[in-house]
Amino acid sequence: MTDTAAQPAPTGRAARLRSSANREQLLLLAGIPVLVLVVLGGWVAWRLTADLDDIEARQLAWDAIGRLTWQHVRLTVVATVLVLLIAVPLGIMLTRRGFSRAAPLVVGVANIGQAAPAIGLVVLFAIWLGFDFWTAIVAFTLYGILPVLRNTIVGLQGVDATLVEAGRGMGMSAAEVLWRIELPLAVPVIMAGVRTALVLVVGVASFATFIDAGGLGALIQTGITLFRTSVLVSGGLLIALLALVVDWLGRVLETAVRPKGL
Amino acid sequence: MTDQPISGVDLELVDVTKSYPGQERPAVDGLTLHVPAGEIVMFIGPSGCGKTTSLKMINRLIEPTSGTITIGGDDVRKQKVDELRRHIGYVIQGGSLFPHMTVAQNIALVPKLLKWDDKRVEARVDELLDLVNLDPGRYRDRYPRELSGGQQQRVGVARGLASDPPVVLMDEPFGAVDPITRSRLQDELMSIQSELRKTIVCVTHDIDEAVKLGDRICILQEGAQVAQYDTPEHVLAAPANRFVEDFVGAGSGLKQLTLTRVDDIELRSWPTASVGEPVAEVLARAGQAGESSVIVLDQRRRPRAWCWVRDLEGQDRVPPPAGDEVLGVDRRATLNDALDDMLSSSYGAAVVTGRRDEFLGVVDFASVTRHIQETAQQVEASAGSGPDGTERT
Amino acid sequence: MQERADIVYGGYQHVSLVVQCVALAAVIAFLLAVLVTRVPALEGLANAVSAIGLTLPSFALLGFLLPLLGIGPGPAVAAVTFYAVLPILRNAVVALQGVDRTLLESARGMGMGAVATLLRVQLPLAWPVILAGIRTSTQMSMGVAAIAAVVLGPGLGGYIFSGLEQIGNANALYSALVGTIGVVLLALVLDALLLLLGRLTTSKGIRA
Repeated sequence: MTDTAAQPAPTGRAARLRSSANREQLLLLAGIPVLVLVVLGGWVAWRLTADLDDIEARQLAWDAIGRLTWQHVRLTVVATVLVLLIAVPLGIMLTRRGFSRAAPLVVGVANIGQAAPAIGLVVLFAIWLGFDFWTAIVAFTLYGILPVLRNTIVGLQGVDATLVEAGRGMGMSAAEVLWRIELPLAVPVIMAGVRTALVLVVGVASFATFIDAGGLGALIQTGITLFRTSVLVSGGLLIALLALVVDWLGRVLETAVRPKGL
Repeated sequence: MTDQPISGVDLELVDVTKSYPGQERPAVDGLTLHVPAGEIVMFIGPSGCGKTTSLKMINRLIEPTSGTITIGGDDVRKQKVDELRRHIGYVIQGGSLFPHMTVAQNIALVPKLLKWDDKRVEARVDELLDLVNLDPGRYRDRYPRELSGGQQQRVGVARGLASDPPVVLMDEPFGAVDPITRSRLQDELMSIQSELRKTIVCVTHDIDEAVKLGDRICILQEGAQVAQYDTPEHVLAAPANRFVEDFVGAGSGLKQLTLTRVDDIELRSWPTASVGEPVAEVLARAGQAGESSVIVLDQRRRPRAWCWVRDLEGQDRVPPPAGDEVLGVDRRATLNDALDDMLSSSYGAAVVTGRRDEFLGVVDFASVTRHIQETAQQVEASAGSGPDGTERT
Repeated sequence: MQERADIVYGGYQHVSLVVQCVALAAVIAFLLAVLVTRVPALEGLANAVSAIGLTLPSFALLGFLLPLLGIGPGPAVAAVTFYAVLPILRNAVVALQGVDRTLLESARGMGMGAVATLLRVQLPLAWPVILAGIRTSTQMSMGVAAIAAVVLGPGLGGYIFSGLEQIGNANALYSALVGTIGVVLLALVLDALLLLLGRLTTSKGIRA
């Protein structure tokens, strides 16, 4: 990144857009942790000093919060890992010769699926599979597949065809070209999809509480049913902070795995 | 084969045809061609004539429908395709470097596929960078986007030569760079070729490039029908038919100039100066030679800058030149290139370099015009049509 | 029959909520985008805010809005509008910046005022990209509106939650399917309509 002497300086609008995109990414990378720490600090201070009634104190007990957070994180991580394991290989397959015709169809179906409300999916799966951690995982995984699948396909299709041909022409096998040329070049796009999926999943994981699969959504639900604003707002706040942390981790990962030459 | 400096092998295409389903006429229709070991053959023809298809059938990026292609007597279809390609160099327009790999990683790809050990790969990378005139220490670990177009293309050539393949295929290798860089790259390719003597098949759309680089030119018509396959001299002097005549174009007499190498003209010496040398010595040398300018050489004796004597006066030592470009034309460059160079510099002479860009001497207007006149007379005498090339000067 | 009428009414409410909120969001987003393109310093901020906004889970936002706006359509409208603004804002900023500067200069040179330039030159040229943002927003809003049923917002989301409450009962599946599939179908219909709107409102000169 330091030595670009030999490269002609990019000019005009493209450069401006790129530099503004970089500025935004930097702002978010540096700003999100600050924002999260400040808000979380404020909430902790409030929690330590607030005068809570019995119900509030029980709902907002430290160990209860810790347990719900852990459940939320676990739901998010497990579902995202499954999303990766399914969507990336599927995306690769759909860009290989022979299957590429099916790609628009699969993406179309996945697009329609995306229009389905997440809460509806969760309820339908609960009716089918029962109230369970794994039911929630199945619903969330299905929900998170689309962005990764779509970005994997778009990222791989976006790799310059002459580079692929150059690789084959030099005597790399199809698998070698995939691993050493296509996937590394598609990584930035795929990772953007992974971050989108992470954020989606951490959001829909708040619905897990409706089917007894845990997570911070419980605070909102009890806040509503018991008319406790403090519990309600605490739930909203903690989920939002968790989502920001997950998004931030996604951004860090995105920056870290981006091939250096790009 | 081993006791000759030729490292290329014979390449033979026999009745090679490629037809695509749904297309009435084959893209390549019964192409038969013999490329002798160690020669450069230029495929040229109008777009859609099948020249690139023909090229890609040699390394089986496109599988022929029928016919045989042999490299050094071995049928390409009898070999495993990836193994085959690892032993055929492949150089593409713009270099097609992998942007996520460093220069060294790009060049090392094929040797690593061939399981060379790390020491040997490393040494080979440096050797090749040196061969294409890029300082290994400086460029090895750069990424392609940190290189200029010409430098990327040089790395592309180095990558194509990495496994020391006997046959190298080039697909419009210098199509994506500016004319001055292109002519420099062509010179370098020729000097590399004079060292290595590979069998090279190169697709181009530029007749000047074909004339300059080719030992032979293969002019193709639609369906890869060979319109003429001959040395540049013969193609220019005696086009086989109207098609070739039109293709080679008017002013082909002038193109004869591209047939003459700087090498063919006697070089003049010129006072030089080394970076860091005491100016007094340089001034004395220039005075002795009666010249008002000197050529500054770096420690590898590569010419880097012209310098007026008056600009040196008052300084203690010769200052290092700005930039990292090497000056002048290769000794394999054509008279055309040399003239271009002279006209664009204000020193009335073109610097000529040899192996690894080492300084050899200069050519000046007088010697070039003298040679042009001689050539014009010769051509007039042999072909009966007078070139108007002399008017150019 | 009554039941079918209820479903149709729920669908109507759902679409009505989304359409109104997205329309409102489009106006807000456009005005914000104009502001952002006039004051370059705001651009990074606007993008960062919209990136952070999009990471906020809708359920969490509803949690904040409920104490402020009470049970009912209030938080639903606020949440749907909030999310709908973000994609449109992002696209509008990019699109307005993408308008060729020489065109703006020539518009000024012809004597058009700032507002006329904005509405007669910039908006028509930026419109296809802005509309793409509106389509994204609409799809997202259909889902957010479904979740708004948790605070008793209007629309089809209620069927999903009543399905949830009745699990174990034969009606549960029917209810949940009505809610889920209803939202999907309406989302597809709305998207098709927006596509049509795009065909009709995009100048022939810049249509791809």
